[in-house]
Amino acid sequence: MSAIVKVTNLTKSYGDTAAVRGVSFELEENKIYGLLGRNGAGKTTIMHMLTAQQFASGGDIEVFGEAPYENESVLRRVCFIKESQKYPPMFTVKDVLEVSASLHPNWDAAYAAELAEAFGLPMKRKMQKLSRGMLSAAGVVVGLASRAPLTIFDEPYLGLDAVARTLFYDRLLEDYAEHPRTVILSTHLIDEVSRLLEHVLLIDQGKLLLDRDVERLSGMAYSVVGAAARIDSFVSGKSLLTRDAMGAIASATVLGEASPQERREAAERGLEFAPVSLQQLIVHLTSGTKDEREAIKL
Amino acid sequence: MNIVQSGRMKAVASTILKDRFSWFLLPWIISGSSFVVNLITAYFANGEITTGGVASLYIYMFAAGIMSVSNTLPFLLGFSVRRSDYFWGTGGVIGLVGVICAAGLSLLSYVESEWLDGWGVGLYFFHLPYVSEGSVAVQFLVYFLLIVFLFYLGFLIACVAKRFGKNGMFILAIAVLAIGTVWSYVMTQQGWWIDLGQWLADRTMLEIAGGTAPLTLLYMALSYALLRRTSV
Repeated sequence: MSAIVKVTNLTKSYGDTAAVRGVSFELEENKIYGLLGRNGAGKTTIMHMLTAQQFASGGDIEVFGEAPYENESVLRRVCFIKESQKYPPMFTVKDVLEVSASLHPNWDAAYAAELAEAFGLPMKRKMQKLSRGMLSAAGVVVGLASRAPLTIFDEPYLGLDAVARTLFYDRLLEDYAEHPRTVILSTHLIDEVSRLLEHVLLIDQGKLLLDRDVERLSGMAYSVVGAAARIDSFVSGKSLLTRDAMGAIASATVLGEASPQERREAAERGLEFAPVSLQQLIVHLTSGTKDEREAIKL
Repeated sequence: MNIVQSGRMKAVASTILKDRFSWFLLPWIISGSSFVVNLITAYFANGEITTGGVASLYIYMFAAGIMSVSNTLPFLLGFSVRRSDYFWGTGGVIGLVGVICAAGLSLLSYVESEWLDGWGVGLYFFHLPYVSEGSVAVQFLVYFLLIVFLFYLGFLIACVAKRFGKNGMFILAIAVLAIGTVWSYVMTQQGWWIDLGQWLADRTMLEIAGGTAPLTLLYMALSYALLRRTSV
């Protein structure tokens, strides 16, 4: 496995505001990454800097071993589909696909046509006349058909209904199996994409909070439900993410893994364990006030 | 330059030229409609009419320079195009459009003056005194240089706007105004306006148009430098 993206101590500030604060990570070849985090966490800014569309205030970025800025050999291997993508006023869907074909060396025109058909994209319609969902679908088609070694999707599903989103996830997995590449998916719909993701990068308030394989995430936290008093005694001394109570029953989400002995003891006290989904974990890690979030130690 | 790079410049050029109407038809529709109005006026008027209506084509090129940046730059940078490829791809387009427009204008000037002698109604729209002096080749060069000059003036202004936003445009406008005011004050104070007028009158149109070439190159260099630091 070789790293195709290497980000070291990346920062971006706008005046006094720091959007990205000292982020470092590496992305390996042929993996699907989830770039997760709340709105304004700095995800989009990081992706813009990876593709040299915005400038870093500090730190280092290497994509395919080189700095991406004005770098032909890097940029032609990158396809960045972003929610805010602008199109020339006269451009039709067909025009966008034609230009994409000339910019992406691995472009598969037949596959693009097939995808456009599957998403019901009107080829002759002007991009500016497309609905939000159709605009997203056009981005998805370009992103998939580009087969770029590094393909980045930033909120690719806006306006897409559940059927179209499922179509996107299925097509992505199918095509990824046949044509492996590195994919970054930035999204809010964590539960929907969690089956796609192999590795998660969690950005919170401009910082990298989590950088871990999905397999290793399931053991990161657990929740436990039972009588409130017993819950409280069970969680005391543990790293508590949340505690909710409803009458005499309470549930708590605890960071870390419960040892077999802890589980036995808890079971004896009538407490029940439940796994925490990726989405729940991310929500727990990134909700709350600034201080509460910074107090979490991973 | 390897093939891949020139391929991406071509992709830029073909992206810009997808809007064929705006590049190949609209300039002629605009100046053509001015021409038709003048033709009708000339038909009913007594005597010759010489008009500067063709200036609309040059003004259009200035506007095209401004519009081109906002129409295509954000799209292409978003689609993994280098800033330098964007710059040279755009340059190729304006080179081509400039050649076509200059050729068209030269031809029309020739037809107007040599064949139809004012379109039979004494209208001089494309063949103007002073501006259209010299051979067809000289005229072609003059028109081409003026078109490219105006395009890059617009392009530079748009690059300033893209790079520095509203505040940048505001500062630029104030700076231009301030420099212009001081310059014109000094010119008046020293009585240099007459000298300038005299100097200009002694120049041929080709010399004036040729004088725009270094300015065009300066605008190109400045807009390239700005583009290199532009983010989306």
